[in-house]
Amino acid sequence: MAALLLEHGAGSRTLLDRQDEVDERAARRSLQLQVAQLDRLISAAICEAFPDRLELPAAPTHGPRLQSLGQLELLRDQMIGSLREAREALAARELQREASRELLARMLLDPGSHRRVRISQRELGVGGCGVWSVSARLGPMGRLMGWWRVKLSSGCPLAT
Amino acid sequence: MNDEPTPQQGWVADEIAAEFPELRIAWLLSDCRGTRSDPGVAERLASLASRFSGRQAVELRQQQVPAAYRSFFRQLGIDPEQHPTPIERAVVGRLLAGGNPPQDRVSDALLLALLETSVEVVAFDAALATPPVGIRSSLSDDRPGGRELAPGTLMIVDSRQSLAPLFALGEGPPAATAAGERVLLVGVAVPGVSALAVDEALTIAAAALGGG
Repeated sequence: MAALLLEHGAGSRTLLDRQDEVDERAARRSLQLQVAQLDRLISAAICEAFPDRLELPAAPTHGPRLQSLGQLELLRDQMIGSLREAREALAARELQREASRELLARMLLDPGSHRRVRISQRELGVGGCGVWSVSARLGPMGRLMGWWRVKLSSGCPLAT
Repeated sequence: MNDEPTPQQGWVADEIAAEFPELRIAWLLSDCRGTRSDPGVAERLASLASRFSGRQAVELRQQQVPAAYRSFFRQLGIDPEQHPTPIERAVVGRLLAGGNPPQDRVSDALLLALLETSVEVVAFDAALATPPVGIRSSLSDDRPGGRELAPGTLMIVDSRQSLAPLFALGEGPPAATAAGERVLLVGVAVPGVSALAVDEALTIAAAALGGG
């Protein structure tokens, strides 16, 4: 009887071990998929930010090797933090661009009051190297008469 | 009759295959005729140099094969922002160098295969490596090139010894450069990259090495 119990007990432990192994593998697989998905989202944010560079925290490198469940969890959590930071940086940049667009609209309506303002295309989120600024029509005469206009400078400087 | 060598499948150790069932490794033995690349290879490299602008180099990470490499890097504990994937490293290198100037025959063949397929191919001197090749975790006495390795590092191994870590982070691949030698080409299909893409990369590299 005692032998049967012992045998039964040993068998139960083996089954439990196997169940744990299956559970852990499933958990690791789930974490790996989450890591892959987070990398795609972070990559999309980095591409959206171009030509600006997103400064994201570096994950510690301890590979290439199989990661433990704890390491995968830590990595997943770090990547969630990185993604949050990336999205916050993009949102802040969009706010800045919106403010620049509003300033340009005011500048176009009333150039004389914005004579020292310069807004680059990059600040507006537009490609190219042009800069919006206020200048006088007809040079000194226009300056004396208050004939102001908004001009967009030509493109990027030639490579030297 | 077609005597073109065909890529052979290698093996993946059980504990790694259990973790990454899609992971594959393939190899191909190729002749290496001469030390300098054929003009055709140099021309193709030059034409590929104009394929990528700065924006495209950044957006590369969203393409299927580079994205698969990035995910796999992450899952193995490598940050691809700190240690870019092979294709990203090659494209940034090309932007910094202003082109793909010819180097030696092996390096050019590996670069061509990488730029054409986004799949990294590494080369070993066939006199020092004995296929078939496989992937396993490092053992305590594994010191490829005399280097100390962290325990459990994933390695490319042949039937006798470890050849190199699975990814040479920030280093050039261990290439055979001697003329007239046989070269063992090895490619890894990370999860999400088809075995066909790896076979294509190996075939391109072999053709460039053998003058095909």
